[in-house]
Amino acid sequence: MEILEIQDLKKSFGSKEVLCGLDLHVPEHSIFGFIGRNGAGKTTTMKAILGLLQTDSGQICVMGEKVHFGQTRTNRHIGYLPDVPAFYSYMTPLEYLHFCGEISGMDKADLVTRSNELLKLVGLGQERRRIKGFSRGMKQRLGIAQALLNRPKLLICDEPTSALDPVGRKEILDILLAAKEQTTILFSTHILSDVERICTEAAFLDNGRIAMQGTIAELRRLRPSDGFIIETEQKEAIRTLMKVFGDLKAAERNSLTFHGSQERFFDIMRYVAENRIPVQRIERIEPTLESLFLEVTK
Amino acid sequence: MRTLFAFMKKEYLETARTGKLIILVLLFALFGVMNPAIAKLTPWMMEMFSNSLVESGLTVTNVQVDAFTSWTQFFKNIPIALIAFALLFSDSFTKEYKSGTLLLALTKGLSRYKVVLAKTVLLLSLWTLGYGICFSITYGYTAYFWDNSIVNHLLLAAAIWWLFGVWVIGLIVLFSSLLQNNTGVTLCTGGITVFAYLLSVIPKTKAYSPALLMNTNSLLSGVEDAEAYMEAIVAAAVSTMIFITISVLAMNKRQV
Repeated sequence: MEILEIQDLKKSFGSKEVLCGLDLHVPEHSIFGFIGRNGAGKTTTMKAILGLLQTDSGQICVMGEKVHFGQTRTNRHIGYLPDVPAFYSYMTPLEYLHFCGEISGMDKADLVTRSNELLKLVGLGQERRRIKGFSRGMKQRLGIAQALLNRPKLLICDEPTSALDPVGRKEILDILLAAKEQTTILFSTHILSDVERICTEAAFLDNGRIAMQGTIAELRRLRPSDGFIIETEQKEAIRTLMKVFGDLKAAERNSLTFHGSQERFFDIMRYVAENRIPVQRIERIEPTLESLFLEVTK
Repeated sequence: MRTLFAFMKKEYLETARTGKLIILVLLFALFGVMNPAIAKLTPWMMEMFSNSLVESGLTVTNVQVDAFTSWTQFFKNIPIALIAFALLFSDSFTKEYKSGTLLLALTKGLSRYKVVLAKTVLLLSLWTLGYGICFSITYGYTAYFWDNSIVNHLLLAAAIWWLFGVWVIGLIVLFSSLLQNNTGVTLCTGGITVFAYLLSVIPKTKAYSPALLMNTNSLLSGVEDAEAYMEAIVAAAVSTMIFITISVLAMNKRQV
């Protein structure tokens, strides 16, 4: 089943059209990477899913139910982590989770066990201080705990790792991976290595539309291998190789890049072997989401 | 109902932990003590100034102070307390918009009208608390020094002034639901209050202006009775309810 379906979503701010006919389908039990540059419309899309923004046209369905602007019942299926989550700083994390549970109408006994369990999951189990003194990473982790509190079917995270240091980022990604068992995750980012690490599916947002969508494997397959890098020990060898094989391009230092057929590559290898050219390294250039992203958003 | 209580609990916790409750209590207690104190000190102050007054051609005879002087001070000072109250609590909504704290509560399924309701109840209860403290202290000291019974319609006068405070709270809630920042809320609330005050000095519109509720002197001295305030009381009560209704509607369609 599709947990989230967006059809032809349009939204303008003044004369600036941010979303122009966005279509998106998020299948259940996926970690869905929502990729786009800064200002591409990721946050706008997420706010529209939560009914926080009035859209110009189009339809959004969560668990088959239509999302309405303003007061919307679909939010009971959703856990949301904003890019910079803001909490009541005078509360302790446990008090905050109890507050969240109470306003979403959770059962009291369940709330107590669930909040302790989640605080442990995000590594704030022993924290008795008020939120006022929390670091950014701690707030982000508490944000995930509150988002997961009422066992949402869909967890929406808006750039959860963007402002964090490498340790903080790893912690958040690990928590999201752990949460995968319980929920579907839609998370926006512009950090492509994060997507490659944990996502099962991804979509590229560009100019207010989805430029490409699919599983990570599918997306990778869209681009064949990017070729090879050959690095030699001496500079002269580079010149010789370039003279013989016209389709080699000089790259940094003593290396050459090659984009072409497998046969042609073996020809080069044969020449290297026959002429005993000392080679430092030969490497296959893996297709990355980054190269794909750059191509898509050109 | 439980979600409303949960949000209200949060509001009271916030008032207590951010130190606003203690400021409120101290402020209104201070005003409460000040009213009879000023009345008590008036003869002494007059004596102090009498020499300079004589020089300017004024003769100071024996100044009589009584319960009436003390209550006149109360109704003279309470507007300042209300302004302080409004400044202290007018950011109740806007600080949540600004920081984004409301966002998480709303995406958790909290009904928007409950935000308006909880905050209105908070403001009303705090106003009632502060006003009650101020009134009780003034009442106690005045009873100790003089005799409260010489003042006409004291409870009624106090009640209608309280209602004026409720009307101002209605304005704060209304503009908080419509506007984005605190400056706008205070300016608009102040603006409408001044406008109502202007209406209360124009003979034709006077009777219907909620600002008439601030003018309790003729009630205290027995010149007028409750009748004279009926229209203003109804106007204040009805418009407050309208303000809250508009606030709920505006909040339901607000882009957070």
